[in-house]
Amino acid sequence: MFAYYLELAWRSLRRNKSLTALMIFAVALGIGACMTTLTVVHVLSGDPLPGRGDRVYRVLLDAEPMDSYRKDGNPLDQVTWVDGMNLLRDGKADRQALMTGGNVAVTPPDASLDPFYIGARYSTSDIFSLFGIHFIYGGAWTAKDDASRARVAVITRRLNDKVFGGANSVGRNLRVSDADLRVIGVIDDWDPQPHFHDLDMNTYGDSERLYLPLGTSRDLGLGHSGSTNCYGNGRSSEKELETQSCTWLQYWVELDTAAKRDAYHEYLVNYSRAQHDHGRFERPPNVRLFDVMSWLDYKRVVPGDVKIQAWLAIGFLIVCLVNTVGLMLAKFLRRSGEVGVRRALGATRGEILTQLLTEAGMIGLAGGIGGLVLAILGLWLVRMQPHEYAKLAHLDFTMFLATFALAIASTVVAGLLPALRACRVAPALQLKTQ
Amino acid sequence: MPMDILPILASLRRHKVTAILLILEIALTCAIVCNAVFLIGLRLDRIHTPSGVADNELIMVRMSNIGGRSDVRARTLEDLAALRGIPGVRSAAILAQTPFGYSGTTSSIKLSSDQKLPTISYVSTYFGEGVVNAFGLELVQGRDFSADEYHWLQDLNLGLPGSSPRSVIVTEAVAKRLFPDGNALGKDVYIYDEPSRVIGIVRHLVTSQEWVPGQEDYSMILPMRVSPDAGMGGTYVMRTSPDQRDRVLDAAVAKLKGLDPRRVLTQKSTLEKQRATFFSADRATAGWLIATCAALLVVTALGIVGLGSFWVAQRRRQIGVRRALGARRVDILRYFQTENFLLATFGIVLGMGMAYGISLFLVLQYELPRLPAHYLPMGAVLLWLLGQGAVLSPALRAASVPPVVATRG
Amino acid sequence: MLTMNHLAKVYRTEVVETYALRDFNIDVKEGEFVAVTGPSGSGKTTFLTIAGLLETFTGGEYHLDGMEVSKLDDNARSRIRNEKIGFIFQAFNLIPDLNVFDNVEVPLRYRGMKAAERKQRIMDALERVGLASRAKHYPAELSGGQQQRVAIARALAGSPRLLLADEPTGNLDTQMARGVMELLEEIHREGATIVMVTHDPELAARAQRNVHVIDGQVVDLTEEPRFHSQTSHA
Ligand SMILES: Nc1ncnc2c1ncn2[C@@H]1O[C@H](COP(=O)(O)OP(=O)(O)O)[C@@H](O)[C@H]1O
Ligand SMILES: [Mg+2]
Repeated sequence: MFAYYLELAWRSLRRNKSLTALMIFAVALGIGACMTTLTVVHVLSGDPLPGRGDRVYRVLLDAEPMDSYRKDGNPLDQVTWVDGMNLLRDGKADRQALMTGGNVAVTPPDASLDPFYIGARYSTSDIFSLFGIHFIYGGAWTAKDDASRARVAVITRRLNDKVFGGANSVGRNLRVSDADLRVIGVIDDWDPQPHFHDLDMNTYGDSERLYLPLGTSRDLGLGHSGSTNCYGNGRSSEKELETQSCTWLQYWVELDTAAKRDAYHEYLVNYSRAQHDHGRFERPPNVRLFDVMSWLDYKRVVPGDVKIQAWLAIGFLIVCLVNTVGLMLAKFLRRSGEVGVRRALGATRGEILTQLLTEAGMIGLAGGIGGLVLAILGLWLVRMQPHEYAKLAHLDFTMFLATFALAIASTVVAGLLPALRACRVAPALQLKTQ
Repeated sequence: MPMDILPILASLRRHKVTAILLILEIALTCAIVCNAVFLIGLRLDRIHTPSGVADNELIMVRMSNIGGRSDVRARTLEDLAALRGIPGVRSAAILAQTPFGYSGTTSSIKLSSDQKLPTISYVSTYFGEGVVNAFGLELVQGRDFSADEYHWLQDLNLGLPGSSPRSVIVTEAVAKRLFPDGNALGKDVYIYDEPSRVIGIVRHLVTSQEWVPGQEDYSMILPMRVSPDAGMGGTYVMRTSPDQRDRVLDAAVAKLKGLDPRRVLTQKSTLEKQRATFFSADRATAGWLIATCAALLVVTALGIVGLGSFWVAQRRRQIGVRRALGARRVDILRYFQTENFLLATFGIVLGMGMAYGISLFLVLQYELPRLPAHYLPMGAVLLWLLGQGAVLSPALRAASVPPVVATRG
Repeated sequence: MLTMNHLAKVYRTEVVETYALRDFNIDVKEGEFVAVTGPSGSGKTTFLTIAGLLETFTGGEYHLDGMEVSKLDDNARSRIRNEKIGFIFQAFNLIPDLNVFDNVEVPLRYRGMKAAERKQRIMDALERVGLASRAKHYPAELSGGQQQRVAIARALAGSPRLLLADEPTGNLDTQMARGVMELLEEIHREGATIVMVTHDPELAARAQRNVHVIDGQVVDLTEEPRFHSQTSHA
């Protein structure tokens, strides 16, 4: 029976070629636009730390003075050196790391290569275990190295390839700025998208290639980049950042259970209160603990533009669907004569409905395939753009399936109303007035 | 209106669902297009933000030293002298910030030292000797800094006594915001909790990094000398004629490398390129909005054509009867045009409500400005024209139905 | 009122030319009631569509009310249809989207008549066909006879001088057919010229004059019918 419906649908679609083309074109265009923008939103709002993101938290403290205080205000995004060091010393979390980023000059041992600048991350030792970063060679530095400001470095696979030709470089020296650092580990390239750990660097795209102890970076006078937010009498001179009232460091912790999370929150409130009593903090305790996804949400990482584009595309798809409903209704109603005869010849209402829905489904399938092609084209266009996230815009399997589901579902929904109306025709009634 | 609308309405009532769908389509299109056109306008305004600087004359080179240096200040002056010697260079300066960059410094300005909340919280601050000349700014009041007003930025950062700026040049926008009813020139304002006198006002100077809408001109210049190794570092900014930019850029890089090979080139660009990159996302968004709007209008127009053709085919016989009963071709044409006009009008009325709703959503969700009312009549006219344009071909087909169809369906 | 001399009508399709009318001659006087009979396919409807200015013809002459019809442009033809001619079709041809009142109003609309006068005429016409109470009904809600009476009311409302009816009773039972015929006779008595195509000998007999059409030509029934080949290959 279904083969018969397919045949009928095929014949009907062929009878009105330009109309069929118009419906498929509209559905394809709507779905193509929708899937292009939704894929971009999907890619940009992905979990950069799968499996760990719900255990890793960003810590915010409110250390600003009272004169600019507003109730319900948000604390600054970063912490001061003093607070970072205090929290680190207490070590109340399962893992914790204090970090910032910078750009450093690297002089390769091979004299034929020119010196170059790369992004570096200055952090305390827990960063690798905290973020679950995988080592190819060697391993991380230790808390002792942090304390002694050891001249050590961890590099990524890509930097290792460039400078050491991909060999196991553990133990070799790398000239960074004016100093020689000993490579103690090589990690796999780690480019979480977005760069949740430091959104001031670049939100998407390549991440840092070189990691070294935070203390070492201070010793070597390596400048940090990203934002520095000073308040009170704080001065953003690079050399004295440790003592100034400036926030310029990110603090991340790992808390394995909800109970630990609550306890840590409690600890932060108590810490703020104690600092208030010391006179360092002026405001009432205002602390935040964001897991990775809520942090990205809070920072509104997905650009508003991208979301507006997606909304526009959804609106466009709705118009395309309304358009298709209208055309399909007109088409089905014009066939009331045929429907009347079929009903007179014994077709049930359900059979007519199935027949018409088959036709709608075929439009949906064709529209879906067209939409998929357009989405691939659209994403290719997005990749041509100079956005930092451009490279990420690829259709993954989920979105591939979603495209088809959307196409068929929307067309069947769009076909349902016309089909329901058209199959209400009473048998043979139409014969009389013909 | 040659054709009375009541019988058309009566006839439409018999095709309620189809008519409602068409009205809905027109309404959605109207609502979306109104908002999208408004957003496109915002983008285009942004892309055309006046910078106040000589956009197509400026080139920039940034070098980063490898490791620390002791004689940076003297070497910087040497660099500048060499750059000024390049043929075609009208001026050369080392500045800490450039317009349309991704980094910058902001400071707050107060009107008195005991004021709690600043009058302006974020003012983009430019450092460097000779900013006004280097950028080609238009000084509308007052004067440029004199040589003895400059201090080294590094000294200020280290808190050395006597290194604070005592004078400042602000944009008209900042002057107006600070002293809405009076002249800012000659007044003292508080920057870093120290008094500075406003000695000059420039027409425009765009901020050196992303701005809050409406605050693109919130900039000021402080008389601070910069060197490549302090704070934000320094960018060599040169002014030349537009057609010589590429040549001068290459010459400048060669010259700097020649003076000291132990440094890495980290930026080499024209301001025009930097500006284009800065607005690339806006351009892409505007492009997307325009393309989607165009597609939306095309789909709606095709929908009207398609549905119109259907209606004509469906009513062939009744058109024939009307013709037999004395309707002229033009009467039939008018019938379909009037019908489309009515449907479009219903759609537009509904669409205006929706446009307002969408605007409200965008305001709440994305902090965009509200849709100005004059976009609504524009959208209405657009959709009326679209409808009339689209219905023309089916209406002409209807008008050419011969009256004999009445006797032979 | 209506004179056709040597009139010809050829339908050209891709492969064949059909002579629907050839050397067709007829003269209908003002105030006459003429019944046109003939076998199916003989050209009766074609004659009526040309007489009613619904179609143009291929050759010969046609004078309507003293005017040479072939010289008229499309708008003038519309005007004449609207003011001088009333049509009644076998298939009623009411507009299904419009109710009875609005259907009768259609020709008056195209005449640009004032609303009050339109209403007066519509109600008068409906009164005459006995359907004043059904003004708000839609065609689908009426019986065949009632629909045809609405069609007659529509033709009457414009007070045409020439009424053309193409098998007006073809879709009706005898009872209803008689009613329609009585209406036409009444209209005729009031001065209208009527040309009616019919298959029903009883109705044809009630007309003043009978015209018989065979193979696109008017024939004298007393003579032996002449045959022509109906089609010729192009
Ligand atoms: N549009 C047309 N195209 C081709 N042939 C036609 C057309 N209309 C009528 N005919 C032919 O003209 C002849 C006369 O038809 P018609 O006037 O309808 O006959 P009647 O009304 O007497 O039954 C028939 O042979 C018919 O097939
Ligand atoms: Mg006939």
